[in-house]
Amino acid sequence: MSQLTNEQLERYSRHIILEQVGGKGQKKILSAKVLIIGTGGLGAPAAMYLAAAGVGHIGLVDFDTVDLSNLQRQIIHLTNDVGKAKTQSGRETINAMNPDVQVHAYDEQVTAANIRDIIGDLDYDFIIDGTDNFPAKFLINDACVLMRKPFSHAGIIRFQGQTMTYVPDKSPCYRCVFPKMPPKDAVPTCRQAGVLGVMGGVIGTIQATEALKFVLGIGELLTGYLLTYDALTMTFRKIKIPRNRRCNICGEQPTITELFDYEQPTCSFGR
Amino acid sequence: MIVKVNGENFSAEKSLNIDELLAAVKADQPEYVTVQLNGEFVERADFPKTFLKDGDEIEFLYFMGGGQLVATDK
Amino acid sequence: MKSDAFLDITDVVCPITFVKTKVALEDLDDGQILELRLNDGEPVQNVPRSLKDEGHKVLTLEDNGDGTFTLWIEKAGLS
Repeated sequence: MSQLTNEQLERYSRHIILEQVGGKGQKKILSAKVLIIGTGGLGAPAAMYLAAAGVGHIGLVDFDTVDLSNLQRQIIHLTNDVGKAKTQSGRETINAMNPDVQVHAYDEQVTAANIRDIIGDLDYDFIIDGTDNFPAKFLINDACVLMRKPFSHAGIIRFQGQTMTYVPDKSPCYRCVFPKMPPKDAVPTCRQAGVLGVMGGVIGTIQATEALKFVLGIGELLTGYLLTYDALTMTFRKIKIPRNRRCNICGEQPTITELFDYEQPTCSFGR
Repeated sequence: MIVKVNGENFSAEKSLNIDELLAAVKADQPEYVTVQLNGEFVERADFPKTFLKDGDEIEFLYFMGGGQLVATDK
Repeated sequence: MKSDAFLDITDVVCPITFVKTKVALEDLDDGQILELRLNDGEPVQNVPRSLKDEGHKVLTLEDNGDGTFTLWIEKAGLS
């Protein structure tokens, strides 16, 4: 890509000063394409930090509209955005933050029928799973494994969070750790759907960190590790996880070779 | 027998198998948890016949997806 | 002294002085020389030192007598 403008040199100066980044690294970031599936508790902070960093193309996938109950943690959306499409609200915030970023909005829910097209639309470099339900999480894993795309998986609930990074051939995938989706009839009680707002900020920003490190080619990713976080005890643990030879999608004898949709949860507290 | 469960010491009078350990630590949703023993995944079918010994390190990995099944209720 | 590139950073303040110089050096090959015009004060106090820390060779620093200095730097292996 062409030279950085004076304004970009100033905007990204704190990046450029870093030995592991430099002008070269910032140009990589400006050329990068990151897809964020779900602009909720995890996706919102991830998107904002990636926009601030200057990721040139950010894809936002969300079929939902902004709800008042989202505002406690989905900081990309503001009070005046209630009722607006989340991708629209997300795009507006990002545009105001950084004109170097182009937002690509996908106003839909990921399904077996569309996820390949969405990922393939710009042939995204890295995918961030910001979803809050297991059908989507398994679908995203399967799509990324089959399409050979690196991605960050994460989940948050109450005062806990966890995340891992998948890079094709170099790490376990989500199914290595969790081979099967939990039964669809396990519906949460209201108490189980609470989450401290900041949890998304901590874990979502870690996901954005992994995306930037991948784009820059620096540091060690959370490949082969599940990072868990307990906010009450302020404990981070990095649990080493092996590739599972018996994994049904990335193991030695995979049984899953195509994408399919799981049943959706029946409780609307999913968000 | 003293083993490490999720990084914390746990002691038991006799050697337990994994099912018994899950019950002893009152693990949440034991039917959905993923178990690692000394870094390797243990198949669910092997839980009753996998007996622990001194110094073993066990990790219980929970689904965490938000809104659905949840991690340990602490 | 001959140089392979020239950069004037008298229009910016620290740390952008260092940032612009760093980026200009990225475009040179090892061993090439950058001629830099910089202001007295913070820039001349900080930039040569920072460039040395990055591994580049500071060849000569000349006082231009008009409140600016000229610095010749040889790019060395790191970035």
